[in-house]
Amino acid sequence: MNFSQRVDRALQRMEELYRRVPAIPRDLAATAFFLFAAYGASRILIDHTGGENNSALVFVLAVVLISLVTHGYLYGIAASIIGAFCINYFFMYPYAAFNLTISGYPVTMMSMVAVSCVVCTLTARVKQQAIEAVRRERATKELYAMNEKLNAEKAAIQMQSEREAMRSDILRAVSHDLRTPLTAISGAVSVLMSSSDVSEKNLAMLNDIKQDADSLTVMIENLLSITRVQDGSVPLHKQPEMLEEVAGDALMATRRHFPNCRIQLELPEDILYLPMDPFLVKQVIVNLLENAVRHSGDLEHIRLNLFRQDDFAVVEVRDQGRGLPPDVCQAVQTGQPLPHSLSGDSTRGMGIGLSVCQRIIKAHGGFFAAGNDPKGGAVFRFGLPMEETDNE
Amino acid sequence: MSEKQTVLVIEDDHSISNFICRALTANDYKAIPAFRGKEGMSLFFSHSPDLVLLDLGLPDMDGMDILAQFQDLPQDVPVIIISARDRENEKVKALDLGADDYVVKPFGVSELLARIRSALRRSERLKLSQGIQRDVYQIKDLTVDLSKHQVLLGDEEIHFTQNEFKILELLAIHAGKVLTYDFILKHVWGPYGGSGNNQILRVNMANIRRKLKENPSDPKYIHTELGIGYRMLDD
Repeated sequence: MNFSQRVDRALQRMEELYRRVPAIPRDLAATAFFLFAAYGASRILIDHTGGENNSALVFVLAVVLISLVTHGYLYGIAASIIGAFCINYFFMYPYAAFNLTISGYPVTMMSMVAVSCVVCTLTARVKQQAIEAVRRERATKELYAMNEKLNAEKAAIQMQSEREAMRSDILRAVSHDLRTPLTAISGAVSVLMSSSDVSEKNLAMLNDIKQDADSLTVMIENLLSITRVQDGSVPLHKQPEMLEEVAGDALMATRRHFPNCRIQLELPEDILYLPMDPFLVKQVIVNLLENAVRHSGDLEHIRLNLFRQDDFAVVEVRDQGRGLPPDVCQAVQTGQPLPHSLSGDSTRGMGIGLSVCQRIIKAHGGFFAAGNDPKGGAVFRFGLPMEETDNE
Repeated sequence: MSEKQTVLVIEDDHSISNFICRALTANDYKAIPAFRGKEGMSLFFSHSPDLVLLDLGLPDMDGMDILAQFQDLPQDVPVIIISARDRENEKVKALDLGADDYVVKPFGVSELLARIRSALRRSERLKLSQGIQRDVYQIKDLTVDLSKHQVLLGDEEIHFTQNEFKILELLAIHAGKVLTYDFILKHVWGPYGGSGNNQILRVNMANIRRKLKENPSDPKYIHTELGIGYRMLDD
């Protein structure tokens, strides 16, 4: 630490101490200090030069200094009057006595007081301006900082909305540009399959193409839904729907894909009319039914049950197949990501299908559970809250 | 039928248009492809087709405008809309504008053909009746007798409430056509009675379904068009 820094520190500390003293005693002390200093200086001057005119100037200087360090005009003006009397008393003949009749003294005294007053007001104004300037600077700084912050926020929002726009653009592109060719592929294959000049072997291959195109279509539906529901950025298109109609539609869609399966729909006595995004809920049911068809190994006894349980409309898919491995049940129950064992070729699509279900149901504020029936077979069950319709 | 029925296919995607036309020809229709809206309009006037398949997402014209222009014509040509999945409002609007039916990409050939058959049958019926309303509608085992205000399922009479009967009557008159929720609400409950109150219609429909012993997953009479409306099946 070099010398100037040390001085700076010392000055800072002094200023701090100075500020800490309350204003009125502080100003009084300062006034007394400068007056004594002026008195001392004048005494030294008068002892060495013998002239009394200088002492007036010394006192004016003291008044200027006083008005610089104190608040308002009062201390300066008081100091100038005291000074005038001091000069008269100490530094004018006869010494140590008041004599206001000395020729020229009233003029000197008046002009000294007048000069001091003017100087006081001027310094006070300068000080005021300095304070004002500091305040203005601080305000400018704050404004600047706020502006900076607002700009940053604006940029963030803009980026967010741009990202949103890009996402919906991509979604639209995917939904249109992938579905259209898939529709064409699967349609063209169906036309070929129904024409008479196709050999048995080729027919099997065409059938494979058709199956794959159809499962790709389901996959795209799932991916689209997952991106839509994922972070809640896109609000659900909820509208009150009849659950049995949604379930019926889902079952028909599944039957179209798997004409060989037999699925029984069990209707409740109650009418389950509740708010939901019907296409997303349909997709959940389709996914669960397809899971049952593909993975249970039992096409004959799949059941789709609808019922009301307390404040939930519940959809249940039961099969009588080989049941679920415990880690799948666990993952469905806790909402954890599904085990990697489901991403093998034989279980293609099961993992993503179930996590789509999870997210869609979560976005609806419902519950999702999976387990095994003690009599054999897997049970998937999800519930959607009924209450919102009751308020209508 | 001596003459082949003509279907105008207004669809800008060539591979989709191709397979639709192949499927139509294979099923004994005459298919005319059009890849642009304007082309479609002029082919419509030069060939006067029996049915139009219309994609709503055309590059040069709004499919909705084309539909509106077709509907202004005196002859009633059924239109089936081909639409992308995520545009429910568009479909509802098209149906309210007078389209008969819709298919959603990706759609299957058999589904498309079934809808074409149904729409053609309906327009045939309309031509035969020449605007005179019938009193009795027969759909499979279901008989809806408007003059007697009676519904029979087989030989058994089924009792419906006033509104349920009105819904059934409306669906029977327009059998084969998709009726939107709003359309049914307006016709059954009047222009001010039911609009916006879907629940009343949906609950009535659930009751009708239970009385007809319909399973929504295997409907014989009333088909649900999810998020859009209902359709009486006529085959």
